[in-house]
Amino acid sequence: MGIRMTYIYSLFQYIPFIAEGVLWTASLVLGGLGIGFIIGLPLAIAQSFGGKKLGKVLNAYVWFFRGTPLLVLLSLFYWAIFPSFGFKLDPLKTSILVLGMRSGAYQSQIFKDSIKSVDYGQILAAKAIGMTQRKLILYIVLPQALRISIPAWSNEYAVILKDSAICFALGVMEILTRVRYVSTATGLALIPYLFAGILFFVLTFSGTGIMDFIHKRTRIPGMVEGLR
Amino acid sequence: MEFWSEYLSSLLMGFLTTSELVAISAPLGIILGIALGASRVYGGIILGSFARGFSALFRGFPLIVTLFLVFFGLPEIGIYLPPVTSAILSFSLCSGAYISEYVRGAIMSIDQGQSLAAKAIGMTKLQEVLYIILPQAIRRAIYGISNEIVYMIQYSSLAFAIGVQEMYSVARTYNSLYFKSLEIFSLLAVIYLVLTALTTLFFKGLIRKLEIPSKAE
Amino acid sequence: MIVLRAEDVWKRYDDTIVLRGVSLNLKKGETKVIMGPSGAGKTTFLKCLNLLVKPDKGRIWIDGEEITSPKADITRLRQKIGFVFQELNLFHHLTAIGNVMIGLTKVKGMSKSDALKKAKETLKRVHIEEELWRKYPAQLSGGQKQRVAIARALAMDPIVMLYDEPTSALDPGLSSEVLLVIKELSERGITSLIVTHEMGFAYEVADEIVVMNRGRIIGGGSPEELRNAKNDEVRNLLNKWNGLKDGVLV
Repeated sequence: MGIRMTYIYSLFQYIPFIAEGVLWTASLVLGGLGIGFIIGLPLAIAQSFGGKKLGKVLNAYVWFFRGTPLLVLLSLFYWAIFPSFGFKLDPLKTSILVLGMRSGAYQSQIFKDSIKSVDYGQILAAKAIGMTQRKLILYIVLPQALRISIPAWSNEYAVILKDSAICFALGVMEILTRVRYVSTATGLALIPYLFAGILFFVLTFSGTGIMDFIHKRTRIPGMVEGLR
Repeated sequence: MEFWSEYLSSLLMGFLTTSELVAISAPLGIILGIALGASRVYGGIILGSFARGFSALFRGFPLIVTLFLVFFGLPEIGIYLPPVTSAILSFSLCSGAYISEYVRGAIMSIDQGQSLAAKAIGMTKLQEVLYIILPQAIRRAIYGISNEIVYMIQYSSLAFAIGVQEMYSVARTYNSLYFKSLEIFSLLAVIYLVLTALTTLFFKGLIRKLEIPSKAE
Repeated sequence: MIVLRAEDVWKRYDDTIVLRGVSLNLKKGETKVIMGPSGAGKTTFLKCLNLLVKPDKGRIWIDGEEITSPKADITRLRQKIGFVFQELNLFHHLTAIGNVMIGLTKVKGMSKSDALKKAKETLKRVHIEEELWRKYPAQLSGGQKQRVAIARALAMDPIVMLYDEPTSALDPGLSSEVLLVIKELSERGITSLIVTHEMGFAYEVADEIVVMNRGRIIGGGSPEELRNAKNDEVRNLLNKWNGLKDGVLV
């Protein structure tokens, strides 16, 4: 088989190296989710309450960022778009921005759906007590919509986490890049990549687990959720 | 310009490879997904748990990791698969895992009465699942399945990492040879966008064709 | 000749005993009606007969074969029983004629052309005309759906038809077309066991009415006998119902 036990033991020395990658992966994921939220929520509000023309432009944004593969987006921005604007070419920052813009497109759809699913009667009641559009959105619709979004948002987290691995293509020193390095250095592949897979697996399920917990904790007493 | 004719013809070759990848992986993934989904609902403890674990595994592993595992890892236990085969296997496993979730959800959403009625006319469990449950479940799952296929088209670009000469690898090669990054990747983006749009259209049509007519006519 | 026999059937769900030793016989050509308040166990009993519900105790024979025996070939025996559900349960993805044919082709193994012929005949027997044959359940009215469901069961040539509150889930105006079909079939000699709230219909169609309450058969008799009921419990129940029609005080 060719796998000598000494090689396997030598793998252990790389664990800190790979563990450091978790920090980079975390910045990709949190940065991407954060930027995605900052883009996605206003986008969703605009699509739900804004005019038709604005809606069309925003739809184009969503369509572009959802229809283009992440690899292509990363390459496009890293080698073409950012340079032509004179931006810094740092792979990490580029990746976070691209992940963020893409997540923004996906999150906008999540929030759009959950805004839509807030009972229209709530809006009517808010108007009836004299609330402006702005107040109504802020105090009545959003709190409910945000809570409804948690399951779908938790799914978005899982997706971004896995997508972050694709940033190896730009050389970002996240988990997968480091595991590749280890694989090349030791000549082993099965164990390192299995380790990577399990690491992502664990990170995925702990993240979604936390969000499930938050979802349950922020339950509105007495309300029956729509079927998922 | 020489660049364009070369690039376009290379892209075309890449496109054929991409199509080959998707054309084979999609049906495989769908069949796997249906089998896994049905197993999770109807399988006993052993089959059901296996299907559940299998699905969780390939949803929890990023596709790129699965690709590397299959192409670089399997040889260590004696299984040598060429790049295209590795890619097809990985894509099928991954999409199969996701589709099994949709199928499982769809099966569980079918009301008990259908099953009772099937039993009442003397159908075995297998007949019931095959002729009554699955035809209805697949109709319900098809929206999710179509999403997965669209994702597959996009993620097929990852195959470049194990040496498959699909579209992205072509673009990447040309990017290192010419200073035309904007043109190279913009065109690539457009091609994927068009592919996505066409596939979505195709599935919309399929969904409409499969729809069971209701009273609103 | 006894076509269906149930002996001392018991069934409990968690803490509740739904059936307490119910026994019943059905002779060939007979039509019996089971009546009783909600929760009396009527539906559960009916579903035990073709083992859609598994009784905890008791034995059931279909055409002389014991369906409750561990060695019983349940799917084969179920073909001899025609079951009509309260909730209709037509197969959503098949047309009316498709619903009737599927048992014939997939369970009985008939050729498509034979099945088609038989399905058409059966649909005509329940007064479903040709223009409805290619319609999907979602396009049919409640009464039409239930009649198709009857055809689906009837096409299998069962030796007994079981009807579980066939009109309870239908809008009031649509019941009569269904009851008419059931009555016709009964008059043509189809052995029938019907659970229903429709008292007038019961008196018309039944050779014997069986009254159930709280999991037990508390009485019964021919329609005439029941009109002059001696048993107090039975009389009280019937009197309570006589004041009601379709659950509404008249």
